[in-house]
Amino acid sequence: MRFTVNGSPRDVDPARSPTLLAALRDQLGITGPKLSCDHGECGACTVRLDGELVYACLSLTAACEGTQVQTVEGLANGNALHPLQESFITHDAAQCGFCTPGQLLAAATLLEQKPHPTDDEIRAAMSGNLCRCGTYPKIIAAIRAVADGAGGAP
Amino acid sequence: MSEKRKGKHTTKRGRFVQTVVEVEGRTETRVVELPAFEPPPWTAATPLTIVGTSPLRVDAAEKVTGRARYTADIVRPGMLHAVIVRAPLAKGTVTAMDLDAARAMPGVRAVMGTGDAPAATRLFRRDISYAGQPLAAVCAESLDAAECAARVLATSLRVDAAPHAVIVDDAIAPDAPLVRKDGNTTAPDVVERGDVARGLAAAEVTITREYRTPVALHSALEPHGAVCEWNGEHLTVWESTQGIFRVRSDVAKALTVPQAKVRVLKDYMGGGFGAKNGAGAHTYTAALFARQLGAPVRCINDRRAEQTDSGNRPATVQKVTIAARRDGTLTALVLDALIPLGISGWEGGPAQIFHELYACPNVRTTEICVYINASGMQAFRGPGYVEGAFALEGAMNALARALQIDPVALRLKNLATRDERANREFSGNRLDECYTEGMRRFGWTSTVHRPPPTVTRVKHGIGVAAQTWPTGGGPPSYADVRINSDGSVDVLAGTQDLGTGARTILAQIAAEALGARLDTVRAVIGDTERLPYTGNSWGSMTTPSVGPAVRMAAEEAKARLLEAAAQMLDAPVESLSTNDSQVLLDSVVALSFSDLCRKLGNVHIVGHGSRGPNPELAIVTVGAQFAEVEVDPETGVVRVLRVVAVHDAGRIINPALAESQLHGGIIQGIGYALFEERHIDRARGVTLNANLHDYKIPTMADVPAIDASFLDGADPAANHIGARGIAEPPIIPTAPAIAAAVADAIGVEVCEIPLTPWRVLTALAQ
Repeated sequence: MRFTVNGSPRDVDPARSPTLLAALRDQLGITGPKLSCDHGECGACTVRLDGELVYACLSLTAACEGTQVQTVEGLANGNALHPLQESFITHDAAQCGFCTPGQLLAAATLLEQKPHPTDDEIRAAMSGNLCRCGTYPKIIAAIRAVADGAGGAP
Repeated sequence: MSEKRKGKHTTKRGRFVQTVVEVEGRTETRVVELPAFEPPPWTAATPLTIVGTSPLRVDAAEKVTGRARYTADIVRPGMLHAVIVRAPLAKGTVTAMDLDAARAMPGVRAVMGTGDAPAATRLFRRDISYAGQPLAAVCAESLDAAECAARVLATSLRVDAAPHAVIVDDAIAPDAPLVRKDGNTTAPDVVERGDVARGLAAAEVTITREYRTPVALHSALEPHGAVCEWNGEHLTVWESTQGIFRVRSDVAKALTVPQAKVRVLKDYMGGGFGAKNGAGAHTYTAALFARQLGAPVRCINDRRAEQTDSGNRPATVQKVTIAARRDGTLTALVLDALIPLGISGWEGGPAQIFHELYACPNVRTTEICVYINASGMQAFRGPGYVEGAFALEGAMNALARALQIDPVALRLKNLATRDERANREFSGNRLDECYTEGMRRFGWTSTVHRPPPTVTRVKHGIGVAAQTWPTGGGPPSYADVRINSDGSVDVLAGTQDLGTGARTILAQIAAEALGARLDTVRAVIGDTERLPYTGNSWGSMTTPSVGPAVRMAAEEAKARLLEAAAQMLDAPVESLSTNDSQVLLDSVVALSFSDLCRKLGNVHIVGHGSRGPNPELAIVTVGAQFAEVEVDPETGVVRVLRVVAVHDAGRIINPALAESQLHGGIIQGIGYALFEERHIDRARGVTLNANLHDYKIPTMADVPAIDASFLDGADPAANHIGARGIAEPPIIPTAPAIAAAVADAIGVEVCEIPLTPWRVLTALAQ
């Protein structure tokens, strides 16, 4: 079965990996998306499927044929980090970093759909991605900075 | 501290002395190394250019690109996957289990059941004493195959059930089933100072309350896990852990292997919060299968196992009596606490903070730990103090209301000016300034005689609470600083970065002491085989324990570098100094580190550092938090609107990272106050909310405006970098501050957390 991952065509065997998360991690070695709750409760596995946010742990591999999948590894443009990645760095918006790949994809999707969200819209849009370290205020600040056109500047 | 240690630097090794050290508030006598030399302390007046600034987290780029590799991201050639089969009920005996049926499943390589693991691992026993206890394990070629076989094995399990006790009331009932052979309770641990009876008699106001706190689950997003691989007799363990050396000693002991043949590695980890302090069932399972099968094995908890059997903050029932004169002067504090630990655990109860936070001549605490048929507790951020603060600070706020005294004024009146428990002075304690600065930032107006709020459906309230926490750190911790032949620097210390920023701040400390540019310094951590020993990253101890060792190593490396430079420049070493990776001769740049080191070639410039013993002072981090909430009296829903936190931890190495720690503690404190509670079914003894949907941790939508800061300053009496620990203190006062704000809003105290709508409505109805 073939789909596109971060711009490159990739082949996986859906029988070996029923979920998209397992296919990405175990067959393709793409480990940015994390396995944490395995039930769509925490958002650590968040990826984009044809531009839409999905929990990869709840997405069936077989249903992804022909789709475009984006993971955190595909967020940067070559060596140039995505503005949100820069902003997360400058705002210290990653503590342990385990939830960060999912947070970044959720934030990128938010800003594509709503380039100038209010703080409450940020909170609502990001509330499907848990962070146990409590980095939320800095994630909000990092998203805010990009939305306000400040790029990665703190 | 003797003159000898403060004198001119010498490379002579230290000597060993017997001293008293403090770990998580408990003291013990140990032999420690007294370094031959310790640098003069960095005081508040010492001009520092790298320490005290906020360079970006050194590993941030790895984290935002997905390059950071966590334990579950480790893939070894031919790696197999192990899954643990767990007990479906709380007490009983395994009578049958069809291991062969599991062995016959596709892809299965090995199965372990009752009696198949060394006794020291405590794995796979016949007797069940809590739901979730490991009973067997399967190893297969894929995780799916292992999970399928584990289900088959679980289905074949036959168990004789026995009566259990999973809540404290059941375990202390007269006809309670025996939870442990040695009984269901520990002997009362009574600690008293002064004369409590006299203090109660002298009181003009006495208040008694019963507070209850829940079992809280660490819920790190990265579950516990290990990858184990044997190469002949040598075992390598990749483990998500707060203590690589502790994992090494645990594994070596359980598998009877010399420590020299066990290597533990930890690169990135997805949170610990106290639950990842040693080897666990997953580690032993992976190591045993890997040895048996001659292949690498990965064993990672699934979420259910993580929420069931990886540690928890135990519940408490705390009866508090607080007694005072009408002017607010405390005359007595009494705590009687029951702490249901689970099936095992250490007795780090709520009593300690009752002895430390306030000046009070008469204090008596009695703690009884209760064993129940549930997974054992583990330290969880501020263990004991978090639970104790909810009760103590709740009682202080109740006293303030009863006396019509502002709760901040009441606290300032009873401020501890020395450690009355241990009869010691503080190295530094600016809690009074935390209150005044917090009041200023919050815009605190006395809660006494406030005009009644305008009649709205939603009620607003404000509250305050404080904390103390022992953050001295201490020996043993070692570090080496190595200057490479291009002038770049390796800081070698066998510590861990849990997401706290240890990699960054240790590099800052070394760069500061060496006079090196920060971007030339790299901290290498997380490897027992190649790095000097440091202790676990627990008790907010990494900065105050490892930091001074790193500074000392860097000072020694600098001294050696300058000795070499003195030869090269034909100048007296006293005329040389360093700055910005350059050697200065009489304050003029003479030579860059890179030129100097290139000329030296492969001459080894290495400094060794060790953490000396603490002074005989109480070393604590303190702080005050202020919360504003709104409560909907129709739905009982509490929303935290804002939190202001001001803490004093001596010198702050990196203010941005320290602020992140404050945010984390406060947000976990909000979860503890409002949402988090493990529910065990009393009849079946199993956890009902062992997932992240039904066990609620705060989301971004729950987070209020947070203004969190540390006082500027340094604590040179604590250690020579002037820094105390910071990670645990901020979670301690959050829940009582929120509870006080709720009481202020609705006029009724709720003495049990979490403050769920049901509890709030029940309180309002009374």
